[in-house]
Amino acid sequence: MNEPDRQPSRDAATLAAAIRRAAADLALAEEPSGFVVALEEGPELRADRD
Amino acid sequence: MTDWTLAGLARAIAGGTVSPVEAVQACLDRIARHDARIRSFITVDAEGALRAARRLEAELSVGRPRGPLHGVPLAHKDLCHVTGLPTSCGTKTPAYFSAEVECTAVARLAAAGAVTLGKLNMTELALGPFGDNAHHGDVQNPWKPGHCAGGSSSGSAAAVAAGFALGALGSDTGGSIRLPAACCGVVGLKPTYGRVSRAGAMPLSWSLDHLGPLARTVEDAALLFETIAGHDPADATSSRRGVPYCVRSLDTPVAGLRVGVPENYYGDDVDPEVAAGAVAGARALERAGAVVIPLAVPDPRPLVDGCNVIARAESATIHGRLLRERPEDLQPAVRARLEVGLHLAAHDYLQALRLRARCAREFVRGVFARVDALLVPTIPEPAPALAWAKAGTVEEVVRKMGRFSRLTRPWNGLGLPALSVPCGVTADGRPLAVQIVGRPFDEPTVFRLGRAVERAAGGPVRRPQLA
Repeated sequence: MNEPDRQPSRDAATLAAAIRRAAADLALAEEPSGFVVALEEGPELRADRD
Repeated sequence: MTDWTLAGLARAIAGGTVSPVEAVQACLDRIARHDARIRSFITVDAEGALRAARRLEAELSVGRPRGPLHGVPLAHKDLCHVTGLPTSCGTKTPAYFSAEVECTAVARLAAAGAVTLGKLNMTELALGPFGDNAHHGDVQNPWKPGHCAGGSSSGSAAAVAAGFALGALGSDTGGSIRLPAACCGVVGLKPTYGRVSRAGAMPLSWSLDHLGPLARTVEDAALLFETIAGHDPADATSSRRGVPYCVRSLDTPVAGLRVGVPENYYGDDVDPEVAAGAVAGARALERAGAVVIPLAVPDPRPLVDGCNVIARAESATIHGRLLRERPEDLQPAVRARLEVGLHLAAHDYLQALRLRARCAREFVRGVFARVDALLVPTIPEPAPALAWAKAGTVEEVVRKMGRFSRLTRPWNGLGLPALSVPCGVTADGRPLAVQIVGRPFDEPTVFRLGRAVERAAGGPVRRPQLA
């Protein structure tokens, strides 16, 4: 690999711009913790071991 | 003996035809013969493994088996804290990470009777999909020397493929179990987020990290998963859901299950042999009676952008001290990826978490109303040459990393269970693989479908010929 030509702030700005576009229409009620709620909202499977 | 499956060896030990000491010694002999070339281990604990095996042998002789893994030799990614052994996390520092208590997953395996052979090589800080490591040596693909074993759980996959260990633990933040499993022709599971405790394992990204098993067969992976899954109060993200039987339901017919094959994104710019492998996997499921449904899925690119923000911000927070105090210790591409996180705003990080929540809810409700599981390729191309993976500027290498992991990262963002299963080899002998992705906490269905693909491909996969 060649000598680093790092550009962390430029990469961060690109990522930030992408997320601002994608998240522009998020509902006010959307919370960061909603992810775990989305996973847990389905029914429990039967035949659990414990 | 190292050609056995984990389940087969466990049965042989339980039946008294093989002793734990014989099993452990056979693995240690094979490691001694071949691992100088494969580079899958960072630490081999021969003395500790034999001591444990002798104790297990004595327990068995008085009719006291510990559990379903009694005497089975395993090894673990060198980011799991194992009492008495250093944990480098693939860095230059031999004991970079430690924890107050042993890694929960390792402790559960030991409680079930497994023996730890040692700690396995990995990409530095688990940051990279190719398995190269400037400090501990590049892990070689057992099927094709000079080619990537995949990463970041490179040693885990290579050791299982080479027959050094019957199974291994890996970690997966963007594909780090499934990518090496696919490259090395073994089975790897990223469980549902929260299903397997991460306590006692080095974090890279709290929101995206998963621990899971790698093994030679679907049955072996299911057996390891059943042992390590379940609530752990030591991990705040650990789910309280009960763990369903997986091994017991492996042979439940898949007839009638609806398997979606995405029409968008997951087939784009994929190598023709990889694409053919995925088609073969889908046909195998159809022959087994599953209903294969082509369907459009939500474009994962905004989600992946969000996950990149989350991963960069969290990893820079976790490893910030190393980054500030000893940046010269880090490989250039690892350092470059970590540094991005220092330049992200809290606002963008929180927006990424909120976006991820919406994506997960919409995906689970929308896609799993139509199908029971999805089938997609694991890697976009077969294991590339190590020289190619490492060549170019840092920017070019980071771009290649993103490209190679583009089919696995969405499932970390969504937190869904994803199993990589071998489905053939290329004309030049490199393994091919597909992912089976299921509903949250529905690992049993994922394993059942994986078993059907494995059977159709003639599995379990034979061992590579080691020089």
